Amino acid sequence: MKKVININFQGQVIAIEETAYETLKQYIESLTHFFAREEGGDEIVNDIECRIAELFGNRLKHGINCITDEDVEAIISSIGRPKDFDAEYDEEMGDGVHGSPLLADPASANPNQGGERSGDARQSLYRNAGDRIIGGVCSGLAHYFKTDPVWLRMIFVLFFGLLFWVYIVLWIVLKPKVLKTNVSKRLYRNPSDRFIGGVCGGIAAYFRIDSWIPRLLFLLPLLVNLIGMISFFPLNFLFRDVDFSWNINMGVVVVYIVFWIIIPEAKTVKQKLEMMGEEEYIRSIRDKFSDNVASAKNRAENEQPPVVKKSYQAADTGSNHASVTDPTSMPPVPPSMQKHEEEGASVSQSGSSTFTSSDSYSASTGSSYSASSGNGSERSGCLNGLVMLLKIVFFSFVGILALMAVGVFIAFLFAGAQMMPLKSLFIDPGQETTLLFTSLLLLIGVPILSIIIWIVRRVMKAKSRPVIGVISTILWFGGLVVAGILTAQIADKFSEESTLEQTVELTPVTARSLYVDMLPYNDDYSEFRIGWGVGSDIDHLPYTNVDEDSLLFRDIHLHIRNSNDSLFHVRTIAASSCRELRGAKADLEEFRFEIHQQDSVLYLPEFLTVPVEQGFRNQSITVEISVPAGRTVEVSDVLNNYRNQEPPSVVRKRIRNYTRTYMTIEPALIEEEEKETGSEVV
Amino acid sequence: MNIENTQSQMRKGVLEYCILSIIKRGEAYPGDIIDEMRSAGMQLLEGTLYPLLNRLKNSEILTYRWVESTSGPPRKYFRLTDKGVQFHSLLESTWNELSTGVETVVRNMNEESETIYHNI
Repeated sequence: MKKVININFQGQVIAIEETAYETLKQYIESLTHFFAREEGGDEIVNDIECRIAELFGNRLKHGINCITDEDVEAIISSIGRPKDFDAEYDEEMGDGVHGSPLLADPASANPNQGGERSGDARQSLYRNAGDRIIGGVCSGLAHYFKTDPVWLRMIFVLFFGLLFWVYIVLWIVLKPKVLKTNVSKRLYRNPSDRFIGGVCGGIAAYFRIDSWIPRLLFLLPLLVNLIGMISFFPLNFLFRDVDFSWNINMGVVVVYIVFWIIIPEAKTVKQKLEMMGEEEYIRSIRDKFSDNVASAKNRAENEQPPVVKKSYQAADTGSNHASVTDPTSMPPVPPSMQKHEEEGASVSQSGSSTFTSSDSYSASTGSSYSASSGNGSERSGCLNGLVMLLKIVFFSFVGILALMAVGVFIAFLFAGAQMMPLKSLFIDPGQETTLLFTSLLLLIGVPILSIIIWIVRRVMKAKSRPVIGVISTILWFGGLVVAGILTAQIADKFSEESTLEQTVELTPVTARSLYVDMLPYNDDYSEFRIGWGVGSDIDHLPYTNVDEDSLLFRDIHLHIRNSNDSLFHVRTIAASSCRELRGAKADLEEFRFEIHQQDSVLYLPEFLTVPVEQGFRNQSITVEISVPAGRTVEVSDVLNNYRNQEPPSVVRKRIRNYTRTYMTIEPALIEEEEKETGSEVV
Repeated sequence: MNIENTQSQMRKGVLEYCILSIIKRGEAYPGDIIDEMRSAGMQLLEGTLYPLLNRLKNSEILTYRWVESTSGPPRKYFRLTDKGVQFHSLLESTWNELSTGVETVVRNMNEESETIYHNI
């Protein structure tokens, strides 16, 4: 007589004998173990489950009521047990799917081999996809260092501010992989000994102390405060200012919650084994067992008799629960493992029936695995740590640099958008504009795009494709080349300089002084401004305004020198650059800078006006006033208040020539000598 | 040096070639492949096939699509990618070289032993 249960298997409801179900469960677990190391191991197991479900479906269609032991056995032998495909599999896998030692038969699992392999697996750093709270980074690091993930998690929580970026960078950089635990003892929350989350119970189990000790430690601050509040009630008024109790209480609560989060719960037998340490666990089982089975009590307390024999007895005296794990049907295992295994099996029958046989299966796996991992080739821990530290530092730097680069690019983008109105000053429409946009797109767009693609691929866990990197690098350098060409073209526009001198006809000035004033520009114009602190000091720019049809330049210089006769003379020296001399000369012809004279007052326009087609070609104008001996020039404050400290080079060269010719400068004029003016600043 | 190991090595070498050849003919799901291999007298465990398919898929030699099935969960139908076609043709040429080579060597040996036999 067999019990039949319904299970939901891969979305299908399947009637199956309970023993057959146990066998199946155990089989799938062994497959999971076996494929755990391989990329996409879960997928393989899932595919195989689908296949099994399909085969079940076929069988049930043929009028059979339920899946029996025989069916499951047939299917398993058709699919193969891990040990069957172990041999061919083992050699193919580069990174050593040696499975658990349980699955490998004694012939192939010689200790050296196993040791080497676990050493290989250890050297590379992964995120642990199998044991994670956020991204599995801590768990992966712990695996690398062969420590308990809890400690690394604590470090990351404690130094949250410092390590946050490290965590993010590692999350992005490291590849996920399901890693098997390589420590024999870990801190777990103990579900069988708990008040709230089992944290204290777990700590107690870890340090092998009674669980009231950590509990008391956690509760102590609370208790002290409570007692203090009650017993020193009148004194509260004295210590009114001291309000540390609440902080401590909150601290305790926060610590507990953090522990609750970062410490995993021991769910499987294997994890319970790791929680307490192997011997301790076995001892606890033994105690439990001895409580339940009176006849075995005497022997259980006695440590020495052969364990194997005892556990057989346990199986005999246990309840009638059908034995799933027939020791003889198990894959051959070394004697030392067999011991644990049967220990486990005995629990499943005699103890509280929560432990299934598959758990015992994994328990023995865990213990034997941890035993063999001890053989792993040890690199010196110090060196390891150093390399690790360097890596972390390096990656953090790279991360910060990358972020900065993105920031700079974005800043450039905004600045570029801000500078766009100026584009017409430097860049002609047509070919040059095309060049500009192409280079901007390549230089800024490509890196941003590739960073985004990279992050997305990373997050989607897609395989990295070097082609993308190569293409984007080429494109970026293409952009650099285009930008270079553009720069050369623009620079070429300033290669030839030309000047034009014009004498302004004056009606003779009878007064002793010539007054120079500014004629404000009366039309509406748009002052060009740059916001957000980028080059906001507009006045240092030689140009002021981009008008509809003309450009207004404030690059106006006033130069005063001695006259060689008894009359005032005014000359303008216009300067401009262009690609070729002829162009520069043609541009100069188009300058508009009309000086008006009203009796003894000379009005200079506020701006030098040129047609907008010229663009910025370093246009400037110098007004040269020659002052006869004994007379003066009074320059209006509006013009004095200039900001353009330096005259353009061409004009300066010319002026130097003149000053060299005229050495007889009256002392009174010297202070006005260098007064060159731009225009009034709004 | 045990015989089983050598045998499995020999089988393993041609396994991928066989599977790719089956898939090359048209989309196939693992059940088909198993049946076909078995009917051709080549033992193949699902437990060997699935990881192999997974690895071929990961190295972008194969790709698959889901197809609803009347009897059970949806099935993965595999087909070759362009890279897979190349890969297969390479394997094919290697196999041809190998099989003619092996045959020649084995035949020579047989003839030789026959001649020796005759001489005696």
